[in-house]
Amino acid sequence: MEFNLPENTTLIADTARRYLKDNYSFEIYRQHIEQQNHVDASRWLAMQELGWFGLPFAESSGGFGGTLLDVAMVVRELGAALCLDPYVDMVVAPGKLLEYIGSDASLAMLSDVIDGRAKLACALYDYHAGNQVLTPSMKLNGKRLSGQKNFVPDGGFADTLLATALADGELVLLAVPVADCETIRHRALDGGRIANVLFDEVEITDGMILARGKKAEQALSMLLAYLQALDCARMYGAAGALYQRTLEYAKTRRQFGVAIGGFQIIQHYLVDMFIDLQQLESMLLMVAVKAESEDASRRERASTAAKAYYADKAVRIAQQAIQIHGGVGVTEELDIGHYFRLVTHCSLTHGDRAHHIKRFAGLDEVHPGE
Amino acid sequence: MNLDFTREEQEFQQSIRDWMQTNVPDDIKRCSAVGEMTGKELQQKWERLLGGQGWLALTWPEQYGGPGWTATQRYIFDLERAMAGAPPTSPFGVAMVGPVLYTFGSQEQKDRWLPGIVSGGTLWCQGYSEPNAGSDLASLKTRAERKEDHYLVNGQKIWTTQAHWADMMFCLVRTDSTVKQQKGISFLLIDMKTPGIEVRPIYSIDGHHHLNEVYFTDVRVPLENLVGQEGMGWTIAKFLLTHERTTIAGVADSHHEISRLKKAVAEAPGFLDKSQARQRIAELEIELMALEYTNFRTVAATDEGKPFGPESSGLKIKGTELQQKVSQAMVELGGMMSLTWDNPETVGSNVFNRATRRYNFLRACTIYGGSNEIQKNVLAKMLLGL
Repeated sequence: MEFNLPENTTLIADTARRYLKDNYSFEIYRQHIEQQNHVDASRWLAMQELGWFGLPFAESSGGFGGTLLDVAMVVRELGAALCLDPYVDMVVAPGKLLEYIGSDASLAMLSDVIDGRAKLACALYDYHAGNQVLTPSMKLNGKRLSGQKNFVPDGGFADTLLATALADGELVLLAVPVADCETIRHRALDGGRIANVLFDEVEITDGMILARGKKAEQALSMLLAYLQALDCARMYGAAGALYQRTLEYAKTRRQFGVAIGGFQIIQHYLVDMFIDLQQLESMLLMVAVKAESEDASRRERASTAAKAYYADKAVRIAQQAIQIHGGVGVTEELDIGHYFRLVTHCSLTHGDRAHHIKRFAGLDEVHPGE
Repeated sequence: MNLDFTREEQEFQQSIRDWMQTNVPDDIKRCSAVGEMTGKELQQKWERLLGGQGWLALTWPEQYGGPGWTATQRYIFDLERAMAGAPPTSPFGVAMVGPVLYTFGSQEQKDRWLPGIVSGGTLWCQGYSEPNAGSDLASLKTRAERKEDHYLVNGQKIWTTQAHWADMMFCLVRTDSTVKQQKGISFLLIDMKTPGIEVRPIYSIDGHHHLNEVYFTDVRVPLENLVGQEGMGWTIAKFLLTHERTTIAGVADSHHEISRLKKAVAEAPGFLDKSQARQRIAELEIELMALEYTNFRTVAATDEGKPFGPESSGLKIKGTELQQKVSQAMVELGGMMSLTWDNPETVGSNVFNRATRRYNFLRACTIYGGSNEIQKNVLAKMLLGL
């Protein structure tokens, strides 16, 4: 085995870190939360120019042929910088879904994503079906689409939704204009923008149906594993930032005449965070390599284990970061609490811990080391 | 990045698996299937079998009898060994005193002691802890006075695992009480048959006799049994702490325990809530996966000739915590079936009937080899700069 990041991946990660350091900050983040539209035109253009829009997609799809590992390193840096630009929600997620569908029509839409012209988001969840994404509650009856989607991460401005529905018991993937729906947008836990969308007898033409049946299920399954890996990457970035800030704080914050990092219990808390962070890194590398596998069993074992693990340990790191900071840790003034919300947010998207534990328990056996 | 074994490594894995299938003695397999201790005779039979294959001193350089395997191969071997139901080998000779001897020992010492370790013929024990020197090991008091042609040893060791089996002990003794604590400690090899040594059993909470007190009264140890120089004992002890980290997490044995637990749950009688049990096992498997990939990073780095990185620092802590969690799950999922202690016949499931023995035994694993609290103190200082 070999765990070294390829040179190109390291370069991508370093570039992302430098770009965000120069162009994003906690102050910008706090203004960002207040905005309805979460795309900042100049940063969006810059991210496109950095090559991020083409990165997740194969060269044959018009992309730059980056691996999930490459994308994960960008997303890790976005998490570490607390950056709310909806790169995953509006580029990676809809783009990968279109690529996995792989039809002429979907690849044509993908080229608009890569060019930065598309304003797409994925509408996969509703509160009836929960994490049972293959059986959404929305129904397509003939040419009429009725139902609702919740928790749609649309950046506050998407004009087209890639939505799931059931048509005669079969999964269909649709591209639906937002203008045809009733949309209530609001702020999400992590500070991003999400929407509840009501589809009331929306007319669906043949051209709006992107995939159905097994094809749709497979594309969705591959997308979810990919996004679960990116949830982990974002949490890793945030957890790493929390650890660094907390260690620094323990070395400088003085009580009883000494730095609190001199107290054994604080030392042990920090060592626990450090060790968990090492294990989270191992799981991130593991899932980033395996979650884009075409082998469903390999992919699902990796993504489901990683997501369940992160929802436990990354959350624990975030909780301990607040505990060690004490009172200032629970204020809006300090970034610690905002990272905490980001980690909590990502622990709940694309399947929470209980969902993934249950799912893992139902997966096939493999011999250790395979 | 490559997270798969190479084709050669896969072939190696298959060959080890095949060998284990035909060569692990049936009485060992029977013990392991129900979770019983192997005992001295079986343990020694197993170690001599491995010694005969040249598969005992796995980490050693080939010139001293190591098989010349990579860390990845050693990891694979350990995994297949555990999955075949064979016990881990005793660490005292192979993992501890052996590397000390080929690193610090004289040619005479190497010639005299290494062959017995490689073959599994000589059993060793570790004389470190004392009644008042546990976590604070450097405060140890057992004295070795230099006489004309021998050291005269007086004092007491405690928690000495397998002292009642051992032919030899490697021992930390105080040779100088006038200098700084750490500087006055020496590393001595003591023949357990020497007059003046008394071994008294300590029964541990699994009901078994692994541990002992060892008393030394005017025990004469030849001068040539000193390893390195007088006063080097602490340096040697610290060397051992960092010697081998690729199997310290116990990943292989945790895999085996989880597979036993799964089998027991699948075969368990009706009152066990199997869906809930499978979810609890899934949590353990996921934790094991995180530990295993962290371990893989250490193994891969070792094969690239790199020093141990920060990822290896938590392996002992995480590994022992997981061993305890798995054994606790086995007891709790067994429920009332785990109430038995020495039942002559199976009540429901023999695996669950025996589960508390291992659960009790493993309370020690977060204590021995440097308690997890001491490990954290060291990490806070060395890695976190606190």
